[in-house]
Amino acid sequence: MIDLIGRRRFLEIVGLTALAANLNGAIAHAATERLRLIFWGGQARADKTGKASKLFTNQNGVTVQNEFLAWNDYWTKLATQIAGGNAPDVVQMDYRYIAEYAARNAIAPLDEFIGKELDLSGFDNDQIEGGKVSGKLYGISLGANSVATMVNTAVFDKAGIKLPVGGFTYDQLYEYADVFKQAGLPNGIRVIMDASGSEPVLENWLRQRKKALYTVDGQLAFSADDATEWFILWSKLREAGVCVTAEDNALATGPMESTMIVSGKAALQPDNSNLLVAYQSLMQDPLALAPYPLISSGASGGQYRKPSMFFSIANSSGSKSQAAEFLSFFVNDLEAAKLLGTERGIPCSEPVREALAPTLSALERAGLEYVSGLGDILGPIPPSPPTAAGEVSQSVLANISQQVAFGMEKPENAGPMLVQQATELLSRR
Amino acid sequence: MTVLKSPGAVAPRGGMVRAKASRQYSSTQRAAYLFLLPWAIGFLCLSLGPILWSLYLSFTDFDLLTAPDWVGPANYVRMFTADPKFMISVRITFVYVLFSVPLKLAFALAVAMLLNRGIRGLPLYRALFYLPSLLGASVAIAVLWRQLFAGNGLVNRFLAQFGIEGPSWISNPNYSLWTLIILAVWQFGSPMIVFLAGLRQIPADVYEAARVDGAGRWRQFARITVPLLTPVIFFNAIIQTIDAFKTFTPAFIISNGSGNPVNSLLFYTLYLYQEAFGYFRMGYASALAWMLLIIIALFTAFAFLTSRYWVHYDE
Repeated sequence: MIDLIGRRRFLEIVGLTALAANLNGAIAHAATERLRLIFWGGQARADKTGKASKLFTNQNGVTVQNEFLAWNDYWTKLATQIAGGNAPDVVQMDYRYIAEYAARNAIAPLDEFIGKELDLSGFDNDQIEGGKVSGKLYGISLGANSVATMVNTAVFDKAGIKLPVGGFTYDQLYEYADVFKQAGLPNGIRVIMDASGSEPVLENWLRQRKKALYTVDGQLAFSADDATEWFILWSKLREAGVCVTAEDNALATGPMESTMIVSGKAALQPDNSNLLVAYQSLMQDPLALAPYPLISSGASGGQYRKPSMFFSIANSSGSKSQAAEFLSFFVNDLEAAKLLGTERGIPCSEPVREALAPTLSALERAGLEYVSGLGDILGPIPPSPPTAAGEVSQSVLANISQQVAFGMEKPENAGPMLVQQATELLSRR
Repeated sequence: MTVLKSPGAVAPRGGMVRAKASRQYSSTQRAAYLFLLPWAIGFLCLSLGPILWSLYLSFTDFDLLTAPDWVGPANYVRMFTADPKFMISVRITFVYVLFSVPLKLAFALAVAMLLNRGIRGLPLYRALFYLPSLLGASVAIAVLWRQLFAGNGLVNRFLAQFGIEGPSWISNPNYSLWTLIILAVWQFGSPMIVFLAGLRQIPADVYEAARVDGAGRWRQFARITVPLLTPVIFFNAIIQTIDAFKTFTPAFIISNGSGNPVNSLLFYTLYLYQEAFGYFRMGYASALAWMLLIIIALFTAFAFLTSRYWVHYDE
């Protein structure tokens, strides 16, 4: 047989086969040695994540290729990548979307890795629960945060107001406004932004009234009367000059630079606790954190500790166990934790928090203390919201609140409008 | 006095030998196709597939994550029966087209006529006036517009000199669309260049003769400039109308993609973008895209049909 095809030819075939086998091996090898990671965030987050990834490479020999985008672009890109079957191995996930991605098998359940590649022994239980969808774990929380009001302390000091430790009430906002006016503060700064179109502020207000935004099965959990009362509450604040004008508020279109507190139009800005550092980097006046406004002093259960974001593993990934190792490293490794800080929220592992505490800046420590010291105003985490929740928030709530603010719609009509339009969207798919 | 005679927009005269004409015709035709080739290759290889795919998608329910689901004409029916936002975006876009295009063309013609009076340093002025068009669709200009028309922006500081307290134009739903129309008018550069070229083709002796006959400036403008310029006006109107229908960037940047305040900047393309990439309704967004194509095609067809009544190609 060798003679038949000739020696030379035989060698060629053997050589080629060997080469092909080699090549296959090399490709397979390369796949296990490289992970792709995609997340949303700014340059600061990218730098920290890059350093932690490099540390992982040094320890495990697996390179991690990072890609990051702004929030809006991120979801477009991720959905396109998943549709094209080339999603990165590790993807950053939000509480808002995790149920949808899990339901469509775009991300993989992680239960099989727990206790092996994925060490969750020191992890907070509520943060593990927060990453579950119908009983299976789909996301590892990268940090806890809670809603919080950014407080411009310089303005309050100048007005001579000392904010109560346990949080202020909606009624007290009127008193502050009176003091603000008498103190003649520069540029006629108002007490608070107009938060009537802000979904988390509405949710917080509803929870204090023992209601919620959504039920477990993704239906609206409040009535038209609740919504009307909400819009009336803010109409009164607007008329009394406690919150900013409609025109000013409409200038805040998303970027942090355009928010009312950064542009010096309001002294209080409801947002998320992990954003304190980011806000402070844009402002001279010192900032502090306070809970969202209370419906009455002693009201409880409005706040909750929320996973700020997750890492999940794409179902299309060919290196799920390496990806699980990376996740474990990202939330447990003490050196990595020091590189990452609290940029994604308060770490969820007790040993990591202890190791991190002495290295934190004053601002980061304020965030940590705020989230861990919420006490009675802390309630249970709500079920993950339905798919259309984002659209309800951006296109219905925000829009109706602006119509009321600009006097194009009466608050009495706005409540039923909100419920009707939201219900329509929720049933659309 | 010299008579300006240049070819270009004016069609070549007849009077040639037939064979010669046909040979010339086939060679110009070949050249035309050759020039078309880069576009044609790009269109056939890159654009045609996705365009046809989007036509298919427009009859489906498609969210990118799961396979498209055939729904027949439901998306198109929805637009006209159950989607108030579609109507809002159509209304806003029509108002924008209706005001921005004529204003922009009038402004462009006025500046072109000023520049056509043989002033020194014409190339410099031409470049300067063209500059906003180059920057027009850029993020920087949209950001600048925010600064100009915000509550404490430059416009209001100027008005304050006269004791007028202006609103925050850009964030007030009553005015926000008008600030974008002004932005469009300011970008008069490219129609101006075309007008300028058109004006230079009008023979000076025609004006000369009119002056001798005692026609005033306005009469010269109405009876000579405008009629002889109609082919150029027609061209500019069509290009600018199509462009205006497709406006996206300024509204996207100024409202950060929201179309707010109170949907007053919800341009058609911005709504399409929200449906596609904000809420992942690719099927519905594709249907919106095809509807826009139909709207633009209807407008263009209407313009072409009426053109023979008002566009004069002959001298």
